[in-house]
Amino acid sequence: MGEIWDGFVEAFKLIIHLDPYVMKITLFTLYVCAIATAVGMIFGIPLGSALALYRFRGRKLLITLVNAGMGLPPVVVGLFVYLFLKRRGPLGFLDWLYSPMAVILAEVVLALPLIAGITMAALQNEDPKIRLQAKSLGAGEIKSTLTLLRETRLSLMAAVIAGFGGIISEVGAAMMVGGNLLRNGEPYTRTLTTATVLEVSRGNSEMAIALGIILLGITILLVWVMTLIQQGSILSQPMKVAKSILSRCRKEADS
Amino acid sequence: MSVFLTLERIEHSYEGRKVLDVDSLEVMEGEILAVVGPNGSGKSTLLHIVNLLERPTNGDIVFWNGGRLSQMSRVERRETSLQMAMIFQEPLMFKRSVRANLSYGLKVRGVGAEERYSKVDEMLDRLCLLDLADRDAKTLSGGEAQKVTLGRAMVLEPRLLLMDEPLASLDVPTRKILRKDISNLVREMGVTAIYVTHDYHEVLEVADRLAVLLEGKLLQVGEPSRVFGEPVSDKVAAFLGAENLLEGVVLENLEGMVRIEVEGALLEALSELPPGSAVKAMIHPEEVVLLPDSGEVGSARNRLQARVTGIHELGALMKVELECGFPLVAYITRASREELDIERGRRVTAVFKATAMHVMPFSRAVRPSGD
Repeated sequence: MGEIWDGFVEAFKLIIHLDPYVMKITLFTLYVCAIATAVGMIFGIPLGSALALYRFRGRKLLITLVNAGMGLPPVVVGLFVYLFLKRRGPLGFLDWLYSPMAVILAEVVLALPLIAGITMAALQNEDPKIRLQAKSLGAGEIKSTLTLLRETRLSLMAAVIAGFGGIISEVGAAMMVGGNLLRNGEPYTRTLTTATVLEVSRGNSEMAIALGIILLGITILLVWVMTLIQQGSILSQPMKVAKSILSRCRKEADS
Repeated sequence: MSVFLTLERIEHSYEGRKVLDVDSLEVMEGEILAVVGPNGSGKSTLLHIVNLLERPTNGDIVFWNGGRLSQMSRVERRETSLQMAMIFQEPLMFKRSVRANLSYGLKVRGVGAEERYSKVDEMLDRLCLLDLADRDAKTLSGGEAQKVTLGRAMVLEPRLLLMDEPLASLDVPTRKILRKDISNLVREMGVTAIYVTHDYHEVLEVADRLAVLLEGKLLQVGEPSRVFGEPVSDKVAAFLGAENLLEGVVLENLEGMVRIEVEGALLEALSELPPGSAVKAMIHPEEVVLLPDSGEVGSARNRLQARVTGIHELGALMKVELECGFPLVAYITRASREELDIERGRRVTAVFKATAMHVMPFSRAVRPSGD
């Protein structure tokens, strides 16, 4: 018990003193997760929308792949990305293996099916007549789809939260394709999860607990912020202020 | 009135099943055309096709701008569809304020913020919705929401307004108010409208013409009074709730005055059908007069001895069920009931003129005439 307590004390010291090693790992983790979530959204939301709204050849196969992808073990993803990126693999020419790009690619593969799958389910649950209504008011294919996505923004945010949560907490894929490396003594492909595993194996409990607390803190904080955005409370006040200013300006212009 | 829109041999199928087969339909400029038919008769499909939301399997549409659907480019189709607006059965509100809902279509059309703002406010004012302008549209009652959908469509100043059972989900008092709003706004703005419903009572006040769509086929189009008074077939009459629809055979035709045998009784009506024709005869219940059993003889050609089998409240009128060899229904006023002391089991004479009967050809095989 004493060791755990000492570990917590030491961990707080590392966090409070903004230990450069811990901070760099944290920033790298946020960088990787932010890019992977963004890429997952860019491809996942249109893919989920297409699967929900259109009928085309191969749709059922794609839906099966997306659904299967939602439950992919990170180690298996890591293995396949490794096989693709290794020197003699199909993407070996990119020379990404054991680089941040490899970690991002693996995280995208993990996040994309989660985002696409939840987007698809959300759109399928929404009244299809909303899109028809938008079209009947003059919206084209893209605009009516964007309107439907806006209507399902709560579920879309849930998709993003799930994608982000899935990749910030995984360790297998990042370890396998990133290698948990340092370069010139500084974290290169080391994320909070891979570093935690390493520190535990070294018997460095204080550092492992510090990294764990940061990982937990970041996850809770970001998911909380996203939840506030999802529920509308974080943006409602600024939006109200903006609307009232706009309304005042219009009235002044009218008078 | 000039022709605004023409549907030519429109057919539409879903998964090999034909759901719409309209030979021809003309919509006149500035009119409200009501399309009535039971659920599943193809009414909504018809609207979707006109609104260019669906493409018909076969057939063509000529629009007010002279464009033919079959020859229109994508740009022309889009330009035409931007001149239409549609209201659905459920008030489909976007998750935003009432004002933003009304702005939607204008924004899509690229109307500038200032113009949008003034047009939306004008429409809100017109529909007495200004108080609700900043309310979240999802929190509105059904009636308020449907009023917003009306405003959201009309603020676009469409040439053609399409309404798909817009009052079906509302209670009776709200329907009455909104029906008036729809009628007033459409007439004031000179918009042509197609109003689809399964409940023909809903459109009698507002429609200039009535089209009856049954099983995907357009069976009759005309002024409401004419369609109700002279349905072209027993199917139309049955859908329109005809009370006295009797099967019979024409025995003779004397210069347009036919004598028809119905369940052993001989009735006289006006028709050009030749002797031997199997017919359905519709007797308008409001034109059946009840007299005391020994009532005086009038000019009416049809007189039947009858027994009262049932009396029901029908709002301002009473519905009296009679048995006179066949079941017959008469609508009488409360005053008449009291005056004649109409009670169940009482014997009366049912009288109606030849003009109170509408005779339609009936496709069943001719029955032997009896004697």
